[in-house]
Amino acid sequence: MSLQVFFINWPYHISNSGRLLVNQHTHFSKHIIYFTLVVMACCTSPAVAEIRVSPFNLLLDSPESSQQVLVHKSEPNGITQDISRAVRYEVEPPEIAFVNDRGLVRPKTAGKGTLIVHIEDQRLTVPLEVRGLEHPQPVSFRNEIIPILTKARCNAGGCHGKAEGQNGFKLSIFGFDVQSDFQALVMESRGRRVTPAIPAHSLLYLKGSARLPHGGGQRIEPGSYRDQRLLRWISEGAILDSESDLNGQIVGIEIEPAEQVLLAGQTQQLRVSAVDAAGRRHCVTTEAEYESNAESIAKVDPLGLIQASQIPGEAAILVRYLGHVGVCRITLPRPAVQFARPPENNFIDRLVWDKLQRLGIEPSGLADDAEFLRRVSLDTIGTLPTPEEARAFLTDVAPDKRAKLIDRLLERDEYADFWTMQWLDILRADQLKITPQGTVAMQRWLRRHFAENRPFDQLARELLTVQGNTSQEGPASFYKVLDKPEEAARSISQLLLGVRIECAQCHHHPSERLSQTDYVGLAGFFTGLSLKKLPNGEQAVISRGGKDLPHPRTKEPITARALGAPPADFSQVADRRHILADWMTATDNPFFAKAIANRIWAHYFGHGLITPLDDIRDTNPATNEPLMTALANHMREKQFDLKAYTRTLLNSRAYQLSSATTVANESDEQNFSHAAFKPMPAEVLLDAICQSTNVVENFNGWPTGYRAIQVWDNHMPSYFFRIFGRPVRATVCECERSNHPSIVQALHLLNAPEIAEKISDRQGRARQLASSKLTPPEIIDELYLSTFSRFPTAPERRLMLEAFAPEGTDRRAAVEDVLWAILNSKEFIFNH
Amino acid sequence: MFKFTLGNESQRQCDGLTRRHVLRLGTCGLIGGLTLPRLLELQAQAATPSSAKAKSCIFLFLEGGPPHQDMWDPKPEAPPEIRGPFHSISTNVSGTFVTDQLPLCAKIADKYTILRSHSHADNGHSTGYHYVMTGRRANFADGDNPIPNNNVFPSIGSVVAREIGPRSELPPYINLPHPMQAGGPGFYGAEFAPFVIEADPTQPDFEVKDLQPPGRLSEQRLSLRRKLLAGIDQMERERNRGPAKVMSTYYEKAYKLITSTEAKKAFDIHAEPDSVRDAYGRTQVGQCALLARRLVEGGCRFVGVDAPGWDVHFNCFPSLRTDLIPYADRAFSALITDLEQRGLLDETLVVMMGEMGRTPRINAQAGRDHWSMAQTVIFAGGGIKPGQVIGATDKQAASPTSDPVSVNDLLRTISILMGINPDKQYLDPLGRPVPIVDGGKFIRDLV
Repeated sequence: MSLQVFFINWPYHISNSGRLLVNQHTHFSKHIIYFTLVVMACCTSPAVAEIRVSPFNLLLDSPESSQQVLVHKSEPNGITQDISRAVRYEVEPPEIAFVNDRGLVRPKTAGKGTLIVHIEDQRLTVPLEVRGLEHPQPVSFRNEIIPILTKARCNAGGCHGKAEGQNGFKLSIFGFDVQSDFQALVMESRGRRVTPAIPAHSLLYLKGSARLPHGGGQRIEPGSYRDQRLLRWISEGAILDSESDLNGQIVGIEIEPAEQVLLAGQTQQLRVSAVDAAGRRHCVTTEAEYESNAESIAKVDPLGLIQASQIPGEAAILVRYLGHVGVCRITLPRPAVQFARPPENNFIDRLVWDKLQRLGIEPSGLADDAEFLRRVSLDTIGTLPTPEEARAFLTDVAPDKRAKLIDRLLERDEYADFWTMQWLDILRADQLKITPQGTVAMQRWLRRHFAENRPFDQLARELLTVQGNTSQEGPASFYKVLDKPEEAARSISQLLLGVRIECAQCHHHPSERLSQTDYVGLAGFFTGLSLKKLPNGEQAVISRGGKDLPHPRTKEPITARALGAPPADFSQVADRRHILADWMTATDNPFFAKAIANRIWAHYFGHGLITPLDDIRDTNPATNEPLMTALANHMREKQFDLKAYTRTLLNSRAYQLSSATTVANESDEQNFSHAAFKPMPAEVLLDAICQSTNVVENFNGWPTGYRAIQVWDNHMPSYFFRIFGRPVRATVCECERSNHPSIVQALHLLNAPEIAEKISDRQGRARQLASSKLTPPEIIDELYLSTFSRFPTAPERRLMLEAFAPEGTDRRAAVEDVLWAILNSKEFIFNH
Repeated sequence: MFKFTLGNESQRQCDGLTRRHVLRLGTCGLIGGLTLPRLLELQAQAATPSSAKAKSCIFLFLEGGPPHQDMWDPKPEAPPEIRGPFHSISTNVSGTFVTDQLPLCAKIADKYTILRSHSHADNGHSTGYHYVMTGRRANFADGDNPIPNNNVFPSIGSVVAREIGPRSELPPYINLPHPMQAGGPGFYGAEFAPFVIEADPTQPDFEVKDLQPPGRLSEQRLSLRRKLLAGIDQMERERNRGPAKVMSTYYEKAYKLITSTEAKKAFDIHAEPDSVRDAYGRTQVGQCALLARRLVEGGCRFVGVDAPGWDVHFNCFPSLRTDLIPYADRAFSALITDLEQRGLLDETLVVMMGEMGRTPRINAQAGRDHWSMAQTVIFAGGGIKPGQVIGATDKQAASPTSDPVSVNDLLRTISILMGINPDKQYLDPLGRPVPIVDGGKFIRDLV
């Protein structure tokens, strides 16, 4: 097979030798060379492969500059591949520049020439100019030195970037504060850090490279380009603002490619360009920082080379340069899969299958009725089905019995109990902090909301604007824990918008556009709040006036504003928070609907489309953006009716898939190709044990008959709750509920006398069954129905009958043994 | 520059240094300012968990704030409202004095080191406890109870569990006799949470909660139960993925613990002869110290003993005299002697401290209040140099007169002594890199 280069794209001309020339007189808006290779295969029709080289023009304008060249090959079937490391490069004339086999070009001496790319037996050329080596533009502190400090991690949180600095030398974290970093380097420490008179004596130069002993080790290789650039900056007088900085402010970055499909084990080089205010692009590929959000799927090295793993899925490669962030999305499909699209119940299925089809991951089959019944009951009402409910559902032959079950569950009292409990956690209803009265006040308010299914935007508005007695039904006591404007701002932002802004309290958010201005701007909505003591000793939240808060660094007052919104106008309202509530619940709010849609999704599907579910940002994209958008829209269409939204989720086939995985989808944890194994919350598990054994739990100080999901007292002493991770309600983070398995949990379920007593209780299920007239197989059926919501399989029944087998076996002991084994099985402990 | 090789050469002296090292050291000492402690520090810092001397740590936490001036830092010259009713006595290390309430410890002062210059700025109980165990200032108000489970930062015990891990079937990190309030794993997660005994070792029926099957189940029924359970899980194996798989590994660990003779032996405090149990004192702190020794012998890495009751604001001297100090005196001295007799002291670091010291001046209720400005910390074993007094406080025992030793200095030192790199970082849930120890200096004089 041979390759032949054909002319295809004006304004490139191709010479007789097949060499590509660029028309220098044409102005391009594009930065990419397009041309096409025609693959001449013997006796077959030609297939066209397109080769792209980027950039179209290489300029190296300082001694330390570099240019990353990308060579992509696009097959006619649409597959594009990075061949930058499979081609051979040559510089002509060779004395002007170096190029390595990764396609990184570095200057040698001034001059003009070409970079030649050899692809098999073809040559492609890109014009190359090297200049500014003798008299380079002065190094820009803000654009070139700060990235060095960042890339070398000098200003990272563990080193000089932490609040108190390190060994007396403090930099702003990630270099967000250019002025103070300049101050620290040039003015402090009696000028020893940079010494323009004898540049090579500067501590900055000596310690970072470990020429002098450095506690942080060698961060910059001696003789490297970064090392040279630092030295040059010092030699030039260590100036803060050079002339070139004035119109050279970096305003954004461009990442190429923005998305890429890779096969297992393939690699992809990124090229990152910084765009300055004048629109010029500078290749900063070697200087940017890279991070993968899913290392198991794709890793990235410090020079921007992405390595795909063997696991199909998606990863976002975060690129950061001078406070600007962007992502490259990597998709790893399973190769050569014939994808059979399952039926679709609603739009969710269409979008989930689309994604799975693209990845080549086939979903699991539909869950059987028992699996579905147990899962949907535990998920929706935090309660196991009773054996009667299980028997009725399993024998029901109505085709729409699942939809009907969903409708019935959403109307159950336990729905309100269960969701109230979960919201008490994230609304931080810690009774020691907000008093038992305050907790009950909040519990009743939440319960009424969920029982009456009031729209969620109304809940949010009430939460945002509440005033009055904290012991009256309502969320007022929330503001007892959010007792500072900043605390209120970051908690409410995380809770209702899914945006974590606490990083921006102290510094520019490293992977988000949020700044300290956004942070204090949001806090400004809560400055009018105060707690007033009432004559009867209770407290009331009142909201009057308010003031703008100063920027933490510049001390300039910042007018209150919502995230990404213009400064707020408070002339028409007495309570500033109303403006925030209006903004938040407006139909065009970019965060609110998405945050609640994702939160509910994460509950039912085991993990959010965005994970963590309350960390929504451009650099943490949803695993299925079209689905995320559709769900947020659906939430708005349903006018924040959570039951209606939930009904849509539960009726989707995606929700009703089996948790049993296939070879194709067992490693998929983010595309919903199978149902998740979810640990049960502590309260739900305890209720499930009580219901299975038919013995209630007596909670300290509570009347008999209350279920664990109804207990609002988060400090009620309970060993079980503690080891199974009842949250302490100290943050609004969903992550506080620790569902991690532990050895103590296993020991407790295996051996605890509390559980043993339930199994052998005189009034309990085991005793009732043992003293009934049922035969051993019937007893086993009953036990299976009350714990797994299903009948045992034939082998299971045979196994369990062994408990009854030996001559003279105590029937009671046999039933207890079977129940014990069931309660310790993973099928019981997990919701799946 | 000079180059040092630490711990890799064959001809060593008994302290781990070669003669050549020492000779080289002499030269460096003159030129490069390298001193013997500095070299020992470098050597300690270069250690890994396998090469470090301290294989385990017993952390005796005197919760509430032990009065340093009534125990380890007597001020006999101070006026009575400061020095209190106790007298100063000489220890078996000449020139080192403690109060007469520590007669047993005074006899073995050559086996531990008294650090009198610990000082920090958190005067609360729960916040101070959190600070001492995690090295991070609390982000919650004092008095929060329980401590929000240090839901952000891991305690030193969890760090040890993560970095070194188990060396037997015993869990690597254990709390006695109940959970240490600030001993949680933070964002490291439940995998590194302490295993908690949840039982009082002074009780005649002491046994570890949930370690033995309840009631009088016959061996036959137990094995039947296990067979049934194994059968169900076997059939479910196809689905046993993700968290369920993790739970299965915990079940395996639990089974191992239940059936482990090592663990059974370690937890069986009843196997100790009465003479030994009496030597430690039949008190909670005494029996916990004894159990700690058994656990360390069994391979546990970090035993945290929570010994509460030290918050003596009112009429403190009777209880200090009759219960608190004598119990601690007996427990600590017995533990050190016992560890030494068993040849375990060298590989077991013992640290005794509280969240703070107590006010110099006795208050109007004849008690002492919180005083985090000064506290005495006791170190023994694990490769430290014993018999020293490090640092001093002023004549009122109010603040250190030498370089104060911070919480992070202590944590850094414990980490390094156990061969843990204190600068290793993990990402917290916000994606911020969190070093194991946030700064601090290695306490050079300790080695």
